[in-house]
Amino acid sequence: MNPSVEALRRIATSPATIGTYALLVVPFALGWFETQLFSPLALPGYLLFSIGTAIGNALAPRFEFWIYWAPFLVGCFGIASAVGAGYEWWCGRRSA
Amino acid sequence: MRRRTILAAGGVVVGSVTAGLASRLPTAHRSLSAARRPGDAGEASTNAEPLLPGTDHETTLYEIDAPRDGPTAMVFGGVHGDERSGIVVARQVAEWRPDAGTLVVVPETNRVAVENGEREGVDGDLNRHFPADREPLTDLARGIWDAVERYDPDVVLDLHRSLGIRGLHREFVGQAVYHSPDARGEELAAALDDAVPWYLPFHRFAASETNLSGPLLFQKAARELGASAYLFETTEFLLDREARVELTRLAAAHVLDMHGLLDAEGER
Ligand SMILES: [Zn+2]
Repeated sequence: MNPSVEALRRIATSPATIGTYALLVVPFALGWFETQLFSPLALPGYLLFSIGTAIGNALAPRFEFWIYWAPFLVGCFGIASAVGAGYEWWCGRRSA
Repeated sequence: MRRRTILAAGGVVVGSVTAGLASRLPTAHRSLSAARRPGDAGEASTNAEPLLPGTDHETTLYEIDAPRDGPTAMVFGGVHGDERSGIVVARQVAEWRPDAGTLVVVPETNRVAVENGEREGVDGDLNRHFPADREPLTDLARGIWDAVERYDPDVVLDLHRSLGIRGLHREFVGQAVYHSPDARGEELAAALDDAVPWYLPFHRFAASETNLSGPLLFQKAARELGASAYLFETTEFLLDREARVELTRLAAAHVLDMHGLLDAEGER
């Protein structure tokens, strides 16, 4: 396999990537489903989603807020991948 | 590798469910329990009467007289017909038992709009029909205003909800308390914030002194009758129906408590 494709695959399936993604999305999604289920763990997702809607609402006020789930999920995956890349780089350096 | 990944994801799910259950919105507020329990000075008497009888707008006004003398407060729900939390809570307030004074409640102020589940009724936005130095603009607004003048309330509370959050979302006004200059808006916002968890920082309440020259019902009541007037706004943004109702109920109980209709300390 192409080494750079292999590296991307490793980052995407890294426990750091998936753990970060779950941490950003799952606690927030629970609170979205029912307010009582909001917890301190939901804070990162809450901040990202709220600030995202604030920017979106300033640019295009006509969208309903559920629309922002799509950019939120993509953005969270971007952040999670950055964390995963850092983690894989750190692991690689330790084992080198 | 796979197992570690699944464990990481599973840990987040379990962790957040436990944390969520452990940090429910506090509900045991003194003013709320005072609102629900009958006063020890005797039973309050309730009287229901139709406003605008015989018209499309006919709606019920509840007058609850406490056994002790005190101020008169008016609570409105359903000025905007699709803002359900205010309607639900105003119906509940109509069953509360104040310890002092007179509590007047109109749960479905714009009844046609409430029945259609729409913001506006037949004549547009009711909460823009109370201009300065003029009669209210429509039959409905005049009928509501007649009742307000008749009771000459010391306190007016109008219950609303917004789609977004004031200060975060342009043109939305959620999680805010608008109040007349002499009203205790800051105190109300602070009391409501006790029910907002620290990890929902954008949902903290803002108090905002209103300009009394506007055409809103609570502005006219403050301007022409000198009432301490409040317009309460919760938000639909990230709050479910239950949370909106709870915050609205707290707002109503705190206003009645602050202005002496409830005996939250259990003695006076
Ligand atoms: Zn409204």
